[in-house]
Amino acid sequence: MDREKRLLALRNRLAYVEDVFGPDGNDSIRVLKARAAEFLERLPHFPQADVEREFRRIEELLDFSEKKLEKELTPMDRVRIVRHPQRICLKDILENVYDNYSEIGGQGEYNIDPSVLIARAIISRRVGRRVVNQPVLVIGHEKGHGEEFRNGGSAKPWGNAKALHYMKVAETENIPIHTYVFTPGSYPVEDYPGAAQQIARNLYEMSALRVPVVAVFSEGGSGGAEAVALADRRIMLSHGYYSVISPEGAAAIEGRLRNGQRADSALVERCARQLAITAQDNVANGYVDRVVQEPPLGARPDHFEFFKTLRREILQATNEVVSSVKSMKLFRAMALSSRTHRKAALDPESIYVRWDLSNAARDRLLCKRYQRFRDMSHHAYRDNRTFMDKIRSGLEPLCWSLHSFVSYGLARGMRKRVRDLAEEVSAEAFLISERVVRPARKALSRFSGPDQPRAELGKRAKEALTRLSCPEEGACINGDSWVWMSGRAREDRAVSCPNARTHGCPDLWAPDLFSEFAGVCPCCGHHFSMEYEWYFYNVFNYAEAQEFNADIESGNPLEYEGFDAKIEQARKRTGRKSSCVTFETSLDGVQVVVASLIAPFRGGTVGAAEGEKFILAAERAQKKHYPFIAYVHGTAGIRIQEGVNGVIQMPRCTLAVRRYIDAGGLYLVIYDTNSYAGPVASFLGCSPYQFAIRSSNIGFAGPGVISETTGMPVPPNYHKAYQALSRGHVHGIWDRREIRKNLYQVLLTVGGRNLYYR
Amino acid sequence: MSNRHKILIANRGEIAMRIMCACRELGHDFVCLYTPEDKYSGHVELARELGGEQSVYKISNYLDANEIFSVADQANATAIHPGYGFFAEDFRFARRVVRRDRPMIFIGPSWWIIRDLGDKINTKRIARSLGVPTIPGSDRPIYDEMEAESIATHLFEFQRAQDIRGGMVLVKASAGGGGMGIEEVQDPDQFRSVFRRVRNYAKRNFNDEGVLIEQRIFDFNHLEVQIVSEHGGKRHVHFGTRNCSVQSTGKQKRIEVAPGFAPAEVPYAFDADRVLDEITRHSLAMAEEVGYDNVGTWEWIVTPRGEPFLMEVNTRIQVENGISAAISRVGEQEHVDLVREQIRLGLGDTLGYDQSDVRFSGISIEYRLVAEAPERDFAPCSGRILRFQWQEAPWLKMYTQVPKNGAYEIPMEYDPNLALVIIWGENLQQARERGVAFLDSLILEGEASGHGFSSNVAFLKARTQGLLEF
Repeated sequence: MDREKRLLALRNRLAYVEDVFGPDGNDSIRVLKARAAEFLERLPHFPQADVEREFRRIEELLDFSEKKLEKELTPMDRVRIVRHPQRICLKDILENVYDNYSEIGGQGEYNIDPSVLIARAIISRRVGRRVVNQPVLVIGHEKGHGEEFRNGGSAKPWGNAKALHYMKVAETENIPIHTYVFTPGSYPVEDYPGAAQQIARNLYEMSALRVPVVAVFSEGGSGGAEAVALADRRIMLSHGYYSVISPEGAAAIEGRLRNGQRADSALVERCARQLAITAQDNVANGYVDRVVQEPPLGARPDHFEFFKTLRREILQATNEVVSSVKSMKLFRAMALSSRTHRKAALDPESIYVRWDLSNAARDRLLCKRYQRFRDMSHHAYRDNRTFMDKIRSGLEPLCWSLHSFVSYGLARGMRKRVRDLAEEVSAEAFLISERVVRPARKALSRFSGPDQPRAELGKRAKEALTRLSCPEEGACINGDSWVWMSGRAREDRAVSCPNARTHGCPDLWAPDLFSEFAGVCPCCGHHFSMEYEWYFYNVFNYAEAQEFNADIESGNPLEYEGFDAKIEQARKRTGRKSSCVTFETSLDGVQVVVASLIAPFRGGTVGAAEGEKFILAAERAQKKHYPFIAYVHGTAGIRIQEGVNGVIQMPRCTLAVRRYIDAGGLYLVIYDTNSYAGPVASFLGCSPYQFAIRSSNIGFAGPGVISETTGMPVPPNYHKAYQALSRGHVHGIWDRREIRKNLYQVLLTVGGRNLYYR
Repeated sequence: MSNRHKILIANRGEIAMRIMCACRELGHDFVCLYTPEDKYSGHVELARELGGEQSVYKISNYLDANEIFSVADQANATAIHPGYGFFAEDFRFARRVVRRDRPMIFIGPSWWIIRDLGDKINTKRIARSLGVPTIPGSDRPIYDEMEAESIATHLFEFQRAQDIRGGMVLVKASAGGGGMGIEEVQDPDQFRSVFRRVRNYAKRNFNDEGVLIEQRIFDFNHLEVQIVSEHGGKRHVHFGTRNCSVQSTGKQKRIEVAPGFAPAEVPYAFDADRVLDEITRHSLAMAEEVGYDNVGTWEWIVTPRGEPFLMEVNTRIQVENGISAAISRVGEQEHVDLVREQIRLGLGDTLGYDQSDVRFSGISIEYRLVAEAPERDFAPCSGRILRFQWQEAPWLKMYTQVPKNGAYEIPMEYDPNLALVIIWGENLQQARERGVAFLDSLILEGEASGHGFSSNVAFLKARTQGLLEF
């Protein structure tokens, strides 16, 4: 019996190795296979005494080969390990790491989204003579060892909504959250609430979640991972990967493949290597705090030693987070920190820190969380500001804060009080004049007769009715009034409206269309896309704007092959140094800070430089108490060539935006042309005020990706702004010719309490 | 020969025919367009007769600018005449003609003048800035409720002061047109609710909340001043006034008379000569000021109290240009043709005479013969014309696209106009008599399904009696 078990285990290990390295494998696998086959063949013929010895020999060989293979693992091998059905999954962790748990929010298939698993778990431990039970909320993706209904751990929007719901529960109950990321990416469907919108909501809420969060990464694919991974400590399993996109996806983009063509494995391998997706890379870049060492070739459910390590690491991480913000800690903090430096005998199990937090500690927690993410990814962009500029950018915020404090905090309170008083008094005065003065005058006029002859009255009225009203009172036609005109307005050609078949629009003459009509078909209202300069000059008053941080440049942090040339090309073409342009401007007298993503620069993708500029702009708006407008001329998502340096901008910028909104600002997002993926699913999609310009597209993934991942045809108009409007993602659709009017209206009517003009 | 032009006629029917004749007289070539529905129209026949087969091009739609330009390039046309209707008042078309890679001459005012005077509100503002009288009320879209109310209060007050009984205020959507979004208010207390209703209607339908507020004027006469200006906008003459008060229910003109009033024969409650003089003077001054540079019409309304108000400016040749020509003589010339003048001036020729050379004599009446049923709200009628005959006379001019011999199918796609009849008399009495005589002698027979064939001959005859009486 024992022999049978050992044989089965042996066969499983062999099959696993074969699975991971593929059938054609390398030399050592071939040798191993041959030896194993030989062993199996000869097994029945071994004398009873030798069986044990032979078994040990072949197991030792297997151990040795696994260790050897482990040393040679390529990033792509790690991806295959992580995706293997025998890989540990969340259920295994719940069974082995926690002492007790109950699954909530569904069971197995009977679940709003079986790919997201939520459990209340208990960690029990002995402290001195007492046993303490510490509750935590566990949230994570469940792959279920390849069960079909788990959808491979790819969470649907409502699964993420469920996760968010229980995060709020944990916040109410004041218990820490442990999240486990086992997802290849979010499931890209746009049914309510829509993948992008839900991830954005998750990020927005998590950025101010007032309980400690510890995230463990095994498989972290872009937005799907971020939806539960904005955490105070991020731990990664040593064989896991954390990436902006799956290596196959990157290869498909790199090789410009369409319609589900497969990229060849060499290209996939190269992309995986260049994207810096492994645990070691992520620790080196500072996006992950610690790596948990797994057994050779990855942890499987029977590696019980590994679960012990994991439990220790998680306890340690939670303790660290809590004690870093707690006021009552003294020696325990010292003990905790000393252990991180040298391998002391002190077990984290024996250090007991209560995991609930006081209000003050919660505030400190949020501050620390913001600072943690704020400090990330500074190596990933090129800061070409001069020394003086840097000093100035360090000092200026202080001045703004001081100025805001004095003029809006101190003086404003006074001014406001005076104004309120004046309003009250004048209302009183009006009432008195109505009740007393007017009847008196009426009575007087009865005695003296009508005070003016009627003809005189008529003449005055006539004067008022027939004179020319002042030009500043209203606009009259003044021809080609657009300040910036598209180059296309100089071509003598006719343009057909794409709705011509359904709406019968006549063909348009390019000079009319692109100058006077502002790129809008006068018949059906279709909006042709316009250059970003058009908006800058005609909407945002760019001629009088003050651009800042223009010298923060996009670089190539991962030394991605051939990307330097592409960046250089984009710079030459646009004359800008990153796809994010930030400036301060005045819209009809209201000072605002604008950050815009422009499509001509690498498709408006977001990398480290763009994220940094965005955050700096948000901070500037916060310090100056200005409204903050994000104008998205178009974005294709996160810049994949920057790998995790790009993905990390999702939580980073969301944190900055959240801080700005919580400080009482007005954060407004305007989408134009095509806006997809990461940015929409994070710092843009989380705004409470989002507007789209007509004929624009908004979504999580492009149609090609959707049909490839879901295997279903994409419905027509799936990404149209009107769809986003009907599922509540955007809150209004604007006509291009009226953006300025609408913008002014919005600035006056919506948004936070702390704007300078309120 | 450099000053021989080839003029593309972007129009149909009677005006196309007149442009062709004028081109011939001036020695220019022309290109005639027609759509499949107009295959048998008189203008195609005449074009073949005058210019041969190579001057006739078939297009799918008179309103497809791209197709018209491709024909113009193919035929190597050097100028475009828009006629009236279609592209005549479309400043974008005019601008495109002169701004193309292969520019042409647009026979009509410069595009910026069409643009500035094509907008009623802008015209009103220009007029007010020159002291030309306009309808009392706002001269720009009003968005603010308080402001609207103050204007309305002023209007009511003004009408009360002038002793106008049942004074009314018109509230209309500034972006509207064709009678949409117009409401009347009689009671000042109702003004606010009506204003809000119109504003919401405008916002919904035209995506612009602007509202105009004006005095409602009852029982007015509709007068016009014909202006002819030289290219460059320096010299201007007028060709008298016209009265176009006889209209169908759809406010389409049916009978026009030149000049605008006949004080010698009809008694008026006000000084008619003064009114005519005032409107011509104001029109000329305004043409001078804006630098008007082709033929155009200043449209006025005259209230029963004899106050003229400028309504709008038509920056094109008008249908009723023939009657102004019929009562005018220039110098020694016996015969004036405004279409010919328009082409001549449009191509850059100088005026060659001034106001003192233009003399007026007699009275001219124009009838628009239309296949329609006045008793059924002027419903258009489509069918075939079987016989169309009349007595020729020296005082009579007929412009018609109905072919002289044989049947004519009235195209369903366009207005069912049949002919323009211009009658001249030494005085109003004689002109009326001749008009009635003509209508009596006219033989017009046709067949149509439904209610049968009908024309507005009886209507025209009935309205001839009261012409020019106010």
